[in-house]
Amino acid sequence: MSQTTDVKQISRRNFLRVSGLTGTALFLGFYFPASGKEGKVVAGADANELGIEMNSWILIDTNGKVTIVDHRAEMGQGSFQSVPQIVAEELEVDLKDVNVIFAQGNQAKYGSQITGGSSTIRGSYKNLLNLSASAREMLIAAAAAKWGVPKSECYARSGQVFHKSSKKKFHYGELVVAASKLEAPKDIVLKKPSDYKLIRKPLHRRDSPLKTNGEAVFGLDKRLPGMVFAAVERNPRLRGTIKSYDDTEARKVPGVKQVIKVKMKVFQSYREGVAVIANSTWAAMQGKKALKVEWDDSSFEHLSSDEIYSRMKEALNTKEGLSFKSQGDVNSVIQQAQNKIDVIYETPYQAHYCMEPLNCVANYQKDKLEVWGPIQAPDWVQDFLSKEMGLAKENVIINMTFLGGGFGRKAFLDYPHEAAVISKEIGAPVQVVWTREDDATQGPFRPGVSYRCEGVIENGEISAFKVKLAGQNIGHMDGGGKDKPNDSASEGFVKHYFDSIKNLSIQDVPFETPIPIMWWRSVYASTNGFAFESFVDELAIQAGKDPLEFRRQYLKDERCQLLIDKMEEISGWKNRKKNEGFGVAITECFASTVGQVVKVSKDVDGKVKIDQVWAVMDCGWYVNPDIIRAQVEGSIIMALGAATIHEVTFKDGLAEQKNFYAYQMPRITDAPPIEIHIMENSADAGGVGEPGLPPFTPALTNAIFDLTGKRIRKLPFNLASV
Amino acid sequence: MITLNVNQKSYKVDVDPNMPLLWVIRDVIGLTGTKYGCGVAQCGACVVHLDGEAVRSCVTKVSRAEGKKIVTIEGLSQHNDHPLQRAWQEIDVPQCGYCHSGQLMSAAVLLRENPNPTDKDIDAAMAGNICRCGTYLRIRKAIHLAAEMQRKGK
Amino acid sequence: MKQHSAMKPTNFPLKTITVMAIILSVIGIMTTAFKARVSPGGNPESSKMKRDSLASVQAFMDVYKVLMSPRCMNCHPAGEAPLQGDDSHIHIMNVQRGKDGTGLYSAKCSNCHQPTNVPGEHTPPGNPKWQLPPGDMKMVFQGKTARQLAMQIMDYNQNGHKNKEQLLEHAHDTLVKAAWNMGEGRTPPPLTHEEFVAAWNKWIETGGYAPAE
Repeated sequence: MSQTTDVKQISRRNFLRVSGLTGTALFLGFYFPASGKEGKVVAGADANELGIEMNSWILIDTNGKVTIVDHRAEMGQGSFQSVPQIVAEELEVDLKDVNVIFAQGNQAKYGSQITGGSSTIRGSYKNLLNLSASAREMLIAAAAAKWGVPKSECYARSGQVFHKSSKKKFHYGELVVAASKLEAPKDIVLKKPSDYKLIRKPLHRRDSPLKTNGEAVFGLDKRLPGMVFAAVERNPRLRGTIKSYDDTEARKVPGVKQVIKVKMKVFQSYREGVAVIANSTWAAMQGKKALKVEWDDSSFEHLSSDEIYSRMKEALNTKEGLSFKSQGDVNSVIQQAQNKIDVIYETPYQAHYCMEPLNCVANYQKDKLEVWGPIQAPDWVQDFLSKEMGLAKENVIINMTFLGGGFGRKAFLDYPHEAAVISKEIGAPVQVVWTREDDATQGPFRPGVSYRCEGVIENGEISAFKVKLAGQNIGHMDGGGKDKPNDSASEGFVKHYFDSIKNLSIQDVPFETPIPIMWWRSVYASTNGFAFESFVDELAIQAGKDPLEFRRQYLKDERCQLLIDKMEEISGWKNRKKNEGFGVAITECFASTVGQVVKVSKDVDGKVKIDQVWAVMDCGWYVNPDIIRAQVEGSIIMALGAATIHEVTFKDGLAEQKNFYAYQMPRITDAPPIEIHIMENSADAGGVGEPGLPPFTPALTNAIFDLTGKRIRKLPFNLASV
Repeated sequence: MITLNVNQKSYKVDVDPNMPLLWVIRDVIGLTGTKYGCGVAQCGACVVHLDGEAVRSCVTKVSRAEGKKIVTIEGLSQHNDHPLQRAWQEIDVPQCGYCHSGQLMSAAVLLRENPNPTDKDIDAAMAGNICRCGTYLRIRKAIHLAAEMQRKGK
Repeated sequence: MKQHSAMKPTNFPLKTITVMAIILSVIGIMTTAFKARVSPGGNPESSKMKRDSLASVQAFMDVYKVLMSPRCMNCHPAGEAPLQGDDSHIHIMNVQRGKDGTGLYSAKCSNCHQPTNVPGEHTPPGNPKWQLPPGDMKMVFQGKTARQLAMQIMDYNQNGHKNKEQLLEHAHDTLVKAAWNMGEGRTPPPLTHEEFVAAWNKWIETGGYAPAE
């Protein structure tokens, strides 16, 4: 085995260029064998020898400069802080001394990079801890060998290895050549959480200062020499094609250089458009406005919201669905019941409205394509563009910038594809900028889902629990099997309910429209949570039970019980006063359980106002409590908007809301006080970025029921006119 | 040719006088801290100071800025140390961070005109700036903290 | 909603009320004429005025239609926030009048409202003088009956201290005219500007009578 680290070879793989490292370096990362999920720790030298495409999460050069790679997107959820915070803990380096860079898209190197499903920490932390501890042990071993002392007499701190008795020390840079010749240790003992110095501490985010002076480079801020700007007039109905277009006026706009027809793949169709290329974003946008395009939209239905929702209702009232989960005998209990709850909940379509509208920079040169953008899934983009553009994967380089919001939309592949197509066509680097109106109206959207909930209470207990949902299935967009129920049919519903509700049925009534749909923060939990946890509340009321106590009765799992205790404690649930409405909801999403209590009352004008939100997060092992709090705060505000302010409606197949004036947002004046508690336990890590969203809406509407006796079953609703 | 004074530096730009200041700053001058969010003065991501006022550069023609002092987020302070910037960092206000150039530029006018703002004053000053990540509670907290730092001369 | 009821008794010439009451009771309208206070700038009770309560009230009803249209009323709100849109909803950014009517802090009118309209729908309409009436002279239109509004306009202490000439001139003010040029997608007032000026002049020239409640 060759034991030298070949800097040139690594350089070809783009490591050095992006990290700015000098000299021989220790690269340490994982090799993800095709066969299994478990990554294997390898040093760069071994990887080169084995011919493995190795990721390099940790790079230390001979000057001791440490670079940690963030393999996931930073879209506000904090990976740029939390990934290095994990690595620095076991590596024993000071966070202030390390450099953090974003990984390029490469699944072979980094495993999955899709920043979705709240998976950055829960999907990577064990590997990262092992990797960092391995690096530390290799550096300690190298120092011990140099001093000729046992490893046990040495320890690492702040990027240095010390010899306990002699107080001799090396900084890591002095050890990397020797360490890179060692094999990665096999048995690593990780720190106990009680010994953590960085993990579980509310450390400041390292991107905060970059985001207070304009320094952070978002996709829209990327600039390349010779770069031009493009705006594209696309058919707002996904599946249409161009019949004809007239670019005479567009070409007259000062600054416009070129007008070309383009198309990009959106799921299984190609969305067509006319791109205006110009020397500034504004000129491109002016040119786009001056285009006259005639579309052919004749091959598919143009639905309006009324039709969509009446069809859903019709389906729910007349059809049984594909069974997602069935236990006991629900139907016979319901048929024989004297008294049953049978209600429909409706949730709207939503758009993502990231503050940074979609955009992408592409530079297609000869047989090589490099892309920069606000990209949630760089590995997917690499795979996809390699296929679509007919390029070898190593010639497709995907760079993540900071993302001005993602929420699921930027995990999609269409906008990088379009930028690549345009760059190839015009032979120049290009930044394609979506106008807010493009971003708002073209989808894909969060699907609106309707639910029929039927339940029976006998002797104060749930004797039947049946939920049917009708809503578009995201899995179908890429041609997923239509004979199977939506695999997220109960996403959001705490799985421990399954242990205690004997007769239960969850079904998916197939429902299709031509409207493009995809993930939106917390995905189906964002709508399921409302239906399931409102329904549980209705059952509790029917049973004559306290809604929190009712949940305690049905969620017997120990973590759930502790969560409920904490909710009861911090919200003062037992000391509720007259004229106050209290509502509770507990949901499970991406391996975390969050419970929220909302308190409402009426203001002097008799309008309902939110006085306080309490949230308890059980996400198991966690990194940075302040980031978790921020994510829960943000999730609650986002849920508040979706519950009480905005929705996407369709008329003649077109989204009606084009900008913030129609799709209004919660503002600072709408934000209620929020108190957050994080549960401490030794469970595996769960998600953080999304699970705080689903329980808010049902906790709010349950609180409104408690205050007013009015049950809200359709979103969004106007808080001021309840 | 239009002469602009941005962050105390003079720029001569050859652009259509109707071009919004936002795009001149971003695409012509090359200062990208000021953001595009909506293009119709709805979101506040594009706020810059024009003779000290928090104008929305996406609807402000560059011709209006001629002869005036323009300050962008890059020029709010020399060393990222305006009391608001320090408070934003101390409280870790930003999540995605995209709207915060505008949030800070709006808050800076509030703090200049009212060194001791109440929650109601903050509402009046900041309700025009949208944050999709929902950092509002921290924005409020950070403005109070910045006011305190400013009062104590920190 | 707060109603301004500060109608000064001294503004109602008793004799006129009595006479007019007799005449107008026939056609079922109760009107009130009143004189704009004599100001240093001139004498509104000049000999040119041809008092005609019926014509005056009719003219004001046209004026009233315009003043209560969203294009005028939205910036003469009852509260401290301007209104927006054809449905006159409260301005969505919580903008406030401020002491001088130009907004507060980072939410000043001219931060978004430019000297001219911004092209396109749902963009801020523009005017070099864009503002609300100031805090000490709110000139509220919203919620006012025709009678209340007419009396307010003719009251020197409530109309921005305008005498008759200044009132007549006001119909040509750039901000008043902006109501007829408020950018794409906004319904103009129900009369043209010329029709409005004619009605306005007629109302004032015939005595500035206020309709009955």
